[in-house]
Amino acid sequence: MSMTVSDLPGLNCGLCGYRTCAEMAEQLPMKPELLKRCLPMSEHRERSFETKPFSVPSPKKDCGACSVACAPEKTDGVKWKDSLGREFDFYLEHFPEDPGPREIIIPHNPMITREMEIQRGDILIGRPLGMSCGCPITHCGVVMEVDKRTGVIVWCVTGPLQPRQHGFKDVGYYIAEGYEGLIKQTRCEPKIGMRYYFQPQLCMLQWRHSGLVNYLNRLKDGYQVRLEGLWIG
Amino acid sequence: MPDRIYFDYAATTPVDPRVAENMIPYLKDQFGNPSSLHEVGREARFVVEKARQQVADLLGASSDEIIFTSSGTEANNMALIGFVEAHAEEEIHIVTSAIEHPSILKTCRYLEKRKVSVTYLSVTPDGQVEPDSLQAAMRPETRLVSIMTANNVAGTIQPICELVRIARQHGALFHTDAVQAFGKLPFHGGQDSPDLISVSAHKLYGPKGIGALFVRKGIRLNSLIHGGGQERDLRASTENVPGIVGFGYAAEIARQGMASETARLVSWRDEMIGHILGKIQGSYLIGHPYRRLPGHLCLGFSGLEGDMIKLLMLLDKAGIAVSTGSACSSNHPGEASYVLQAMGLDPLKARGSLRVTLGRFNTQKEIDWFLKILPKTLAELRPMTTDSFSSR
Repeated sequence: MSMTVSDLPGLNCGLCGYRTCAEMAEQLPMKPELLKRCLPMSEHRERSFETKPFSVPSPKKDCGACSVACAPEKTDGVKWKDSLGREFDFYLEHFPEDPGPREIIIPHNPMITREMEIQRGDILIGRPLGMSCGCPITHCGVVMEVDKRTGVIVWCVTGPLQPRQHGFKDVGYYIAEGYEGLIKQTRCEPKIGMRYYFQPQLCMLQWRHSGLVNYLNRLKDGYQVRLEGLWIG
Repeated sequence: MPDRIYFDYAATTPVDPRVAENMIPYLKDQFGNPSSLHEVGREARFVVEKARQQVADLLGASSDEIIFTSSGTEANNMALIGFVEAHAEEEIHIVTSAIEHPSILKTCRYLEKRKVSVTYLSVTPDGQVEPDSLQAAMRPETRLVSIMTANNVAGTIQPICELVRIARQHGALFHTDAVQAFGKLPFHGGQDSPDLISVSAHKLYGPKGIGALFVRKGIRLNSLIHGGGQERDLRASTENVPGIVGFGYAAEIARQGMASETARLVSWRDEMIGHILGKIQGSYLIGHPYRRLPGHLCLGFSGLEGDMIKLLMLLDKAGIAVSTGSACSSNHPGEASYVLQAMGLDPLKARGSLRVTLGRFNTQKEIDWFLKILPKTLAELRPMTTDSFSSR
C-alpha cells in the first residue's frame, strides 16, 4: 500500500472511524480495505451490498393477483398448469435442510397436542380436512416445533416410509394453517399481501393451491415465503 | 443499569448545556431587537451576526450567505418555493428523490399544482440516488435538483459532490436538505458543493425553532414571509435572538469537536452493527453498511417486523428511547415508511424497522446495556414465522 497521509483529503472528518487522516493512514498498510471508508475521497459509490433480485421471466401486467386474468404463458418449458389444466403462478419448494415441505397445522381438537404429548421429532399422520374441497390424501410427517398453549404444530411432510418403520401418533383430522418454503420458479414477482395460485412441488396430486403471502424474503436465487389462508384449487 | 438511555438523536438532540448557558442572557437582560438603533438593539445585532458567522464557518460559507429561518422545514420551503417564485416566468422542472423529507416532497406536490414539473428519482436498495438516474432525468428546463445529504430513516449518505457536478453540467442549481448531516459531515463551500443548503439547530444540540438556509451569492429567491425586511429581505420577522445565539454556539462547538465526535460515533455504530448482526439471528441492517451517518443504525429483525411497535414500547419501559422509522412517522404507527418502501422493502418490512441513533451524550456503558437488553426484549415478541424459518 503506497497510500500516505498526503494522499488523503486532510479533512479530518472522522467518518472513517479515525479522528484524523494521519491516524487512518497509519492503519492503511495493515487494512487497505479501510480506504473505501474515506467517504469524501470515494464519492463513487460502492455497488449495493444487497443481493439484486433474481430475474423474473417477463412479468405481466396484473400478474400475481389472479392467474385467470393473465394470458397463458410458457417460460423455459414450464407450462404453469396443474394436473387439472388450471393455471398457477409459482412452484413452492421445501427448504433443502428440511426433510420435506414445512406446514403449520392445528389438529381439529387442539387439546390432543398436549394429551398425546406431541413433541419435536415425533412422527405423525393425519388428513387435512377443511381446506376448501379438502385433500383426500392422508399425510405423514415429522414434528419440528410445538406450541403447547395453542396446539399449533409445525411439521415437515415426509411420506409413509417413516411411520411404517418407526411408528406414529395419529392426530386424525387437522387444518393446514400455513406453508413455508422457497420460490425458485415463478412467472411473476410475488408481493406480500397478495393471494396466488401456486403448485407445491411435492403435492402427490399435483393440484394447485392458493394462499396469501404474508411473509417474503428476497434471496439471491428466489424467495423465502410464508403462505397462509390456504385453499386447494 | 443507566436510568434512562436516549438513542433517538436523529429525531432531536438535547440542548448542549454550554449552548443553553449562552442563550440565557438573551432570554433575560439582553432582550434587544437587532433592528433597533440604540445600544440594546446594537448588542443584539452583534450577537446575531456573530452567530451567522459561526453557522457559515461550519458550512464553509460566507456569513452573508446564511439566512436564518424558523426550522429546516421552512428552509426547505424557502429553497424550493422561493426559487420557483423568483423564476415565475420560466418553465421549471425540478428533480428530487423519492426518499426526501416530507418538507421537500409535500412542497414539490404543492409546486406541481402550480405548473412546475417534478421528477422523483428512485433509490438503490441501500438508499442511494444513482448519479446515472439523475443524469437521465435532467432536461433542458431542469432548473433545480434537490437531494438530501443523508436520509433520516435509513441513514444513508448520498454522493452529493457527484450529483452536484451533474446538475452543474446541465446548468441547474443544487439544493440539499442537510438537516441530518450538518455538524456530522464536512461542508467546504467549494465549486462541487450545493448552491442551497437547509440546516436546523435542534439536530445539532441547539434549540428548537431555529434553522437556516445557505444561499450561494448571486442566487435569486423570493421571500415567503413578507414584512420588515429582515434577513436581506428574504425572511421578514424580528429575529429569534436567543435561538440564533444558541444555533451559532452549537455550530461552533460542533466545528471544534466534529472529528473526534464523529469518529467515536462511527466506532460505536460499527461495534453495535457487528454485535447485533453477529449475535441476533434474523437481524439485518437497512441502508449502506458504512456510507451512513455516524451513530445511525436502522435495523430489521426477520419475522418480527409486525411487532416493532411492541419492541419500541418494551424498550421504552426499560428506559431506552429508540424509534421506529422516522420521528415524524411515529404519529402514524400503522403506516409503512415510504422511504423504506422506496428502497424496495415490502410493506411489512417497511413498517418494521428499528432506528437507533447515537449522539454526543451517550456512553459506552449505555451501548453495552442496550446490547444486553435487546436480545432479551426481542425474545418477548411473537414471531411471524416458525423458529427455523427465521434462523435460515
